[in-house]
Amino acid sequence: MNPNFDKQEMRSYLLGNLEADRRAALEESILSDPGVYEELLVVEGELIDQYVVNNLSPSERQQFETNFLITAERQKNLRFGRLLRRYLDSQPVPVPPEKIPVAVRQIETPAPAKKFLPFFSAGPFGRSASIAVSAAVVASVAIIVFICWVSTRKPVQHTVREDSSHLMKVPLTPGSQRSEGGSTPRVQIPPKGFDVRLELQVTNTSFRNYKSELLRENNSLKTADELKAEPSGEQHVVPWTITGDVLSPGDYKVRLSGVVDSGQDEFIDNYSFRVVK
Amino acid sequence: MNKNWFLSQEAFDALLDWLDSDREQAGIKYEEIRARLIIIFTGRGCVDAEDLADETINRVTQRLSTIKKEFTGDPTRYFFGVANFILMEYMRRKPPQPSPFPPTDSNQVEVEFRCLEQCIDSLSEENRYLLLKYYGAEGGSKIDQRKQLAEELGIAANALRIRAYRIRLGLQQCVEKCIKRAEE
Repeated sequence: MNPNFDKQEMRSYLLGNLEADRRAALEESILSDPGVYEELLVVEGELIDQYVVNNLSPSERQQFETNFLITAERQKNLRFGRLLRRYLDSQPVPVPPEKIPVAVRQIETPAPAKKFLPFFSAGPFGRSASIAVSAAVVASVAIIVFICWVSTRKPVQHTVREDSSHLMKVPLTPGSQRSEGGSTPRVQIPPKGFDVRLELQVTNTSFRNYKSELLRENNSLKTADELKAEPSGEQHVVPWTITGDVLSPGDYKVRLSGVVDSGQDEFIDNYSFRVVK
Repeated sequence: MNKNWFLSQEAFDALLDWLDSDREQAGIKYEEIRARLIIIFTGRGCVDAEDLADETINRVTQRLSTIKKEFTGDPTRYFFGVANFILMEYMRRKPPQPSPFPPTDSNQVEVEFRCLEQCIDSLSEENRYLLLKYYGAEGGSKIDQRKQLAEELGIAANALRIRAYRIRLGLQQCVEKCIKRAEE
């Protein structure tokens, strides 16, 4: 019995399509080998993340929904995966802390979060005087930094251009580039009767045509195929015009695929944006 | 097999003794075996995986005096054998249908999101950076970004995966506790 299992076999196991003999061997290893068990949990998390960002193939997606999401525990894990993705999409690029220790440190468990109210817990006052002085200095610096930040901060960028033909143009950069360059673009809710032209920036223009899918919380709202890339300044975009009434406040994602000459789809990237009031 | 048998404290103590002479270690082993049985039953499409894991443990405990005499080796192997037997019984019965995915309540989602923000804020600076950098990447840059992060941390790519997962797991537990408190 081969005790070695690769990531792909573990994915197959979780999706319910691993061969019976390998499945039995893997199950035995899950019980007897802590490393295999943890690796399976890691793969499970990765599978959930791929489902959340719609990066599973159609068949995997179906297996995920039919075979994987069968217990309340896994449904709960998916819910958390969606929540985490929403948080990550709302964040700017993380800045490295000043010093990252080379050695792997023990993983901390986050401190229990406080109740929402009252907003402020008991502060450091009442402890030693030195702590109180330190807190005052930190607070002063924080206030100065905050004032500087407010004075220099630009207003929220709504990445929308309107023209006179009741069309809102929304340029979107791919998620793979956006995560290195900024937070999720915000789009104001379209006025009644407006269409929205999503301009999906692409670098590879060699596809015969393009297919797109608009998703909200993993639910497909609209699809289009036969889209074509066109030049836009020094770049190329795939324009996709949708009716504005499809959009309400919330987080959206466009999944773009290219169609190669053989007719096969090839995933290109995701484009996230947030509609705000 | 007596289906109405319940796990008494005495029987449970005997089970722990069999798993490990150290009580604390035995407790950890018990939890690990149960969690892994749940994974196995879920992997076989059992909707009520937790009940079946408990049923497996109960069966083993019920026969413990005999097992101790006749079986030598890693106890987990015995659990695996019993689990397979229970699985066959399960397949012969009409399995229950999976519960539908509960609808999303937007207010609840907001509560959960605020809990997540609080829990992420409570992470150390390094772990927060690792979490955001590791899981924040999407699309084509993901592989490069994770490779770069592993280099920054001076650890192998797989060690980074495990480390990111452990932070995520701790975060999820923190959020679940926070949500419970918010509901109280």
